[in-house]
Amino acid sequence: MLDAIDRELLKTVADLEELPKGAYNIRKNGRLLVRNVSANIDIESLEDNKGIVVTIKPKTVNESVHIPVILSQAGLYDTVFNRFVIGDEADVTIIAGCGIHCGGLDPEGHAGIHEFHVGKGAKVRYVEKHYAAGPGRGKRILNPATKVFLAEGAQAEMELTQIGGVDEAERTNEAVLGPKSLLVVTERVLTEGTQRAVSRNVLTLSGPGSRANMVSRSVIKGDSVQNFYATLEALAPCRGHIECDAIIMDRGKNETLPSLKALHPDAELTHEASIGKIASDQLTKLMSLGLTYEEAVNRIIQGFLR
Amino acid sequence: MLELIDLSYVVTTEENGNGAGRRKIIDGISYNFEQGRFYAITGPNGSGKTTLAKLVMGINPVTSGTIRFEGRDITSLPITERARAGIAYSFQHPARFKGITFRDLLAMAAGTEVEEQLLALLRRVGICSLSFMDKAVDAQLSGGEIKKIELATTIARNPKLAIYDEPDTGIDLWTIKPMVRLLKREQQERGTTTIVVSHNRAFLEAADVILMINNGHIVYEGDLAGAKPLLTDLSACTYRRCLLEDQDVGCYR
Repeated sequence: MLDAIDRELLKTVADLEELPKGAYNIRKNGRLLVRNVSANIDIESLEDNKGIVVTIKPKTVNESVHIPVILSQAGLYDTVFNRFVIGDEADVTIIAGCGIHCGGLDPEGHAGIHEFHVGKGAKVRYVEKHYAAGPGRGKRILNPATKVFLAEGAQAEMELTQIGGVDEAERTNEAVLGPKSLLVVTERVLTEGTQRAVSRNVLTLSGPGSRANMVSRSVIKGDSVQNFYATLEALAPCRGHIECDAIIMDRGKNETLPSLKALHPDAELTHEASIGKIASDQLTKLMSLGLTYEEAVNRIIQGFLR
Repeated sequence: MLELIDLSYVVTTEENGNGAGRRKIIDGISYNFEQGRFYAITGPNGSGKTTLAKLVMGINPVTSGTIRFEGRDITSLPITERARAGIAYSFQHPARFKGITFRDLLAMAAGTEVEEQLLALLRRVGICSLSFMDKAVDAQLSGGEIKKIELATTIARNPKLAIYDEPDTGIDLWTIKPMVRLLKREQQERGTTTIVVSHNRAFLEAADVILMINNGHIVYEGDLAGAKPLLTDLSACTYRRCLLEDQDVGCYR
């Protein structure tokens, strides 16, 4: 059922060696490949196979859902709408990811549009990795979008990673935070060659006592370009922070624009942003531990994107 | 074991807006550091102590002269090669990283990720808190914490020559004595040739030899008792350096 390329892509984007335990839905070239549901986690297809609805029962704890997508068909651009409804007081992990294997000249792409409704007091950890490989010269395009709605006391931790090989990426993250909810978004993107990546984020802190932390780590190699835009909008007494760091290597270009909008007098919003080369004191330290210049660069980048 | 021969380090400076000038930071220093001894390098601020230490590690390039380590000319070797030859360097203001932990640095320094060996290193350097191991070496660490990490990664190299630049910066008064004892123990039990750049009396008292540097020259070599008159003379006052041409406002002391 899974061929060698499928296995390599699944291992890279979802850390899967075999079919996982628990609930899963693997989509290949725009079609359902295999699915499993559990007693607490249901997965249903939307009409015309345009996506899935994952429903997690209230108080489901320590369970996970894998929903990777793999593409290996030249010329295919697959758009998928997935909705996650996470019941009150559940505590679950969702592992998504898209792997593209491009063998031809035609472009291949995927747009995963994910909507999360996180119930009262529920916790969700969402891990998403994007990766593309293959000998073909067709462009590999990924345009993911996430929309997160957090109910009172809900918590969401989003880890969004683009590992490499993606020629064009335009990501959109939106979130609306209810009272006393918490959202932590960590985005890690590495681009090289002539790749382009744009990330647009709008987090709205609408409930009193809500908190948001957006962390972005970018590594820009070769002639690649990455742009990062993040807005925290506060409508209630709340706390929010944006931390965005970009390391430029070679001739990379970066534009970083964190923006804060306080529409309530008791909002506390902060941001820190930096763009620059690898600090020379970091390189010197690691070289003084016996690493070569190249080894030191790799370790620093590895840590930065960890 | 470490021989400096007519070592100079010159920087280019902008002087009075009239184009580039040259300033000698290290001015023809020759000295032979002996195997297994403990040296303290002291002197006024801006005298060239740290620059000399950085020349030995290869962090600053030598302008002229020769550095020999265990008989081998290392003058043009990069930092990595000097580290692999057995020289370790503890920075006054250690680098901070994002996403690199103490464990990562210690493992790189020791060349092993084996838990027992890393724990043995913690015991050796006197860090007893295990939770410390997985702390990120980032801006959240206090000045004292990052200096302990710096010391540990230097010792973890098992160096033949260990250079410590102002190891007591940011360290509380109560930690300095254990730190001195640690460096002495490394010297005595492992024969580590030790060079400490410091103004701190505790390190000067622990040293076998004190070298005093002023204006890029070694102006004194000997024990602490002999150094005291010069220390009093040179240590705190930077008045002479602060003079602007002929505008002598008089020393405030």
